[in-house]
Amino acid sequence: MKKTVSIMAALAAVTLVVSGCAAAEDTSATDDTSTTETTTETAANSVLASVIEADVVKCGTRDALPGFAVLQEDGEHQGFDSDFCRAIAAAVLGDASKVEMVDLETADRFTALQSGAIDVLVRNTTWTASRDGAEGVTFMHPNFYDGQGMMVTSGSYASVGDMNGAVVCVAKGTTTEGNAALESSRLGLDWEIRSFDETDLILEAFIAGQCDGWSSDVSQLTGFRSAYPNGAEALTILPEVFSKEPLAPAVLDGDTQWAQVVSWAIFATIQAEEFGLTSANVDDISASTGDVSIQRFLGVEIVTDGASSVLDPGLSLPTDFAYQVVKQVGNYGEIFERNLSPLGLERGLNSLWTDGGLMYAPPYR
Amino acid sequence: MSSLPSAPSKPPIWRDIRVLRWAFQLLVLALVMAMIYWLYSNYQANVAKSNIPTNLLFLDNPANFTIPGNDLDQSQPVRDAFVQGFYNTLRVAIVGIVLTTILGTLVGIARLSRNFMVRAIATAYVELVRNIPLLVLLTFMNLAVVLQTFPRIENAWLPLDLFVVSNRGIAIPWFEGSGTVLLTVLAGALIATWIVVKLRGRSSDSTGKPARGLLFGLSTFVILVIAGWIVFGYNWVLPFVDDRATSGGLRLDPSFFALLVTLVVYTSSHIAEIVRGSIQAVPSGQAEAADALALSGGQKMLLVVLPQAFRIAMPALGNQFLNLIKNSSLGATISYFELTQIAQITVGNGSPAVPAFTLTLLVYLVISLVTSVIVNIANRRLALVER
Repeated sequence: MKKTVSIMAALAAVTLVVSGCAAAEDTSATDDTSTTETTTETAANSVLASVIEADVVKCGTRDALPGFAVLQEDGEHQGFDSDFCRAIAAAVLGDASKVEMVDLETADRFTALQSGAIDVLVRNTTWTASRDGAEGVTFMHPNFYDGQGMMVTSGSYASVGDMNGAVVCVAKGTTTEGNAALESSRLGLDWEIRSFDETDLILEAFIAGQCDGWSSDVSQLTGFRSAYPNGAEALTILPEVFSKEPLAPAVLDGDTQWAQVVSWAIFATIQAEEFGLTSANVDDISASTGDVSIQRFLGVEIVTDGASSVLDPGLSLPTDFAYQVVKQVGNYGEIFERNLSPLGLERGLNSLWTDGGLMYAPPYR
Repeated sequence: MSSLPSAPSKPPIWRDIRVLRWAFQLLVLALVMAMIYWLYSNYQANVAKSNIPTNLLFLDNPANFTIPGNDLDQSQPVRDAFVQGFYNTLRVAIVGIVLTTILGTLVGIARLSRNFMVRAIATAYVELVRNIPLLVLLTFMNLAVVLQTFPRIENAWLPLDLFVVSNRGIAIPWFEGSGTVLLTVLAGALIATWIVVKLRGRSSDSTGKPARGLLFGLSTFVILVIAGWIVFGYNWVLPFVDDRATSGGLRLDPSFFALLVTLVVYTSSHIAEIVRGSIQAVPSGQAEAADALALSGGQKMLLVVLPQAFRIAMPALGNQFLNLIKNSSLGATISYFELTQIAQITVGNGSPAVPAFTLTLLVYLVISLVTSVIVNIANRRLALVER
């Protein structure tokens, strides 16, 4: 018995060490900021400083979500979220290509952000109160307003309410699981909800007939439907939308400076669309316009009575950041049309506020 | 150097081997402690900076998700989800250990068969399975076998009308209600069997006639179980296809099935090698002595060789059992709701990662330690008592 006890003690000690290491791995990447004494300059502690020093933005994203982020055969990421990663790089570093895309599993994404493995998470992530609170992250202005829906094989069900006793497949570690469970109990439908690591696995299970329904954000379902091996017509997205899913980029808590920088990179795309600035016309307009608000926005020298000035609102961004974003990546509408319109997604809630949508940027002055 | 030091004089303290040993060990200990302290304080500083909770209070939050095949309401706390995950881990581990021991032993014996075909098949099985990474085997089992080979629920196989096999799971006949009647009958039958076997052994000792304990014991057991069925009835319910699901009977989740089969197949290939080696380690004189006593082949294996082989195999088998338990965490990759899957899901939905996974890790540790204690006890009872 003594031997057993000593073996147990040794094992326990080993576990402690190992778990200690595991915990440290999670956090070591941000150590340089945590262990140094606090300086009066917040900028020194900000992710912004380390991004500028590294000359690259590490952006948490994914590799196989049609329309939002797809890893192409040439090794480049293409999609709506990927373009917002590039917009942040263009704003901060003046070069949209200075971005390192880090592909993350759904269940790992917050840990990656907490540990400093990525600087910003632009990964189709729903902003919820408990994520805001317990995950230690702060969400920015949503770049896409979405809602959860249900996709089924065409002809099998006409509405969500018909799906009594159905097997519903979802992605693991998402808000989708909870919403589906809630909807099931609200409608009294007794769904069996299976969660998978990867959307590829859901696809396999769905094709094989293990799942009756595939529940996710409507934008994602539209993407998967368009890429379905048996053709998009084989699938139907049911009309009901049963949740609010504001998809927002996220940064680590406690770094206001970096948060503001990321926010304004997103606002710049929205504001540019409102001004009618596109990647094609921004050069001409910035040279010719007399509109002071556009000149301010693009960081053009404003000449009044012989004195010239450039608006620097003190965001720790280059004064021409909005120009770089629009020139290199495009405005919100361009990003949307380039990536999401081919899937058949409508602007809907994601129209500008002037068109009755929710996309609204604070004034740049 | 004019006078030699007297024999028992103490060496100076920096050359005293005992002091040096102690000092070195203390140094190592101090380094390890410092390392742990450094890592831990980093962790503390980082979580404090980002306001991530480090306690276990998240266990009281509502789970927000459901578990296929378990009665977890989504308003129940995360704690209950972890408990269900723990049960699911135990479920696959216990069934898996029993099945893999049986299969592994059979294959191990087959590896030594005089029949060429049997031997070749067993060897091929062991070499094939042992050399595939477990995760690949599991993914294959799930994607290729369960998803693609098993029929859709619309055209499910109904072998003998007793089972329902589809890629939504395998339903088997099961008794309704709590099963107390069946369990009582089974327990009674087991006790009766044990008594019969003992009595046969005693009469064999006194008369010298063969005991045939297995024959008598087994028939007692079967007769009692059938008698119990006739007298009390077990409320068997046959499964059937009900729309797009199965009703009645006991449904084995498809991912449970895939995980169980994979773990059993994989671990048994290792156990087979252990059993083969242990049988070969039993001195050949034992088998020859059994031949000399005119024991049949089965008797020789069952009564003489295997008991001694298992004495040798026990510690190595224990290791394989532990491997099986730990490998069950791979079930998370095919949507089997065991402990790791639960931890991943709750972390994705707002539980703090470090406390949640520390808890998971400790639960696995406890399961493994309890298993190794059981194996050690079994080992001690099996071991030769030397005088």
